[in-house]
Amino acid sequence: MRALRPLLAFTGALLVVTSHATIAQTPAVPDITGSWLRQGFTVGVRPTGQQGPAPPPAAPPPPLKQPYLKEWQDRIQKIREADAKGQPIATNAVACLPEGMPGMMTATFPMEILQSRGQITIIEEAYTQVRRILMDRPQQAIDDIEPGFYGHSVGRWEGDTLVVDTIGIKENVRYQNVPHSREMRIAERMRFVAPDVLWNEITITDPTVFETPWTFTFAYQRMKDYTLLEYICEDNREFADDQGRQKIRVDPAR
Amino acid sequence: MARRTGLWSIALAILMVAPAFAHHSFAVYDHTRTLTLRGTVTRFQWTNPHGFIEMDVQQSDGSVKHYSVELTSINMMQRVGWRSNMIKAGDKVQVVVAPLLSGEPVGLGLEVVLADGKTMALPVPAIGSFKRTDTQE
Repeated sequence: MRALRPLLAFTGALLVVTSHATIAQTPAVPDITGSWLRQGFTVGVRPTGQQGPAPPPAAPPPPLKQPYLKEWQDRIQKIREADAKGQPIATNAVACLPEGMPGMMTATFPMEILQSRGQITIIEEAYTQVRRILMDRPQQAIDDIEPGFYGHSVGRWEGDTLVVDTIGIKENVRYQNVPHSREMRIAERMRFVAPDVLWNEITITDPTVFETPWTFTFAYQRMKDYTLLEYICEDNREFADDQGRQKIRVDPAR
Repeated sequence: MARRTGLWSIALAILMVAPAFAHHSFAVYDHTRTLTLRGTVTRFQWTNPHGFIEMDVQQSDGSVKHYSVELTSINMMQRVGWRSNMIKAGDKVQVVVAPLLSGEPVGLGLEVVLADGKTMALPVPAIGSFKRTDTQE
């Protein structure tokens, strides 16, 4: 055993050197794991003591081509008129359908980011929406992705910025009623602008419906010690009537 | 053209905030008056997308009218201090609601006085847009 000591010591030293080398080869990435809420949202949340720079500017109008622009403007006008008459038009949300991408990233309910090996997972509390960002993998061809609510996302760290590319969003999953084609791509760039403030610059490109890319930024505030609550559409009394208007089921027997 | 773009920016800014708060529009409720309901709870429903207080309200002619009071998401309620055991069947409560425009006996809960006398507000988006008249039902 005594004879083995130098060998053991050498092996131990080798292990230490090897593990240090492994650590040195893995660049440190920002720690974005935790709960986040969109800055400026104060209804139904505990005050978070917001920090950081002035919030990013509001989104510009979507740079839609004709006839998509006129259709979108007419739709917005119709929504306003219907609201003014007290007969709102039913949206996907009335059927308790999730917002999907990029709507879920508005994070008006808290949102959790989890970093694990090869994947970043984002969970939005409202509707328990989940998206997976596959890290350091090539993106697939749009035609190879079956369209869904959250799409297919790949990401990588470019220095301190998380860069994500998302394709494959169903055409009926519309953010702010803006139409899109199967060719839509959502690019995200997430980075810290203050110790607990994360900005997500979103750029949507779609050669079919947009003249130019549509870019806007969401700012998230870290919610320390907040654990996401469950959210199940257990009893949804809202429904769309045969005219497509939002109604509420009235049940006097309750 | 610049002016038009400016107007659309404002419209969009409003639209981008409004639907994000709630699972649906609150435009079905009357924003010009509120009713104060005093009655007995038949059920406190702690569910998403919205919670509900079911209650029987005694009318001036002695009859009883049943009301459903729609609340916000229970997640929002929980974050501002509401708990599922704060109300139970049989409790006498007072609720200020914005009534449904259709006239059906449903209201959007804005404020509740619990059986123990404690007043609890509901985290309703743009709650200031509902004009309080607090007419006794």
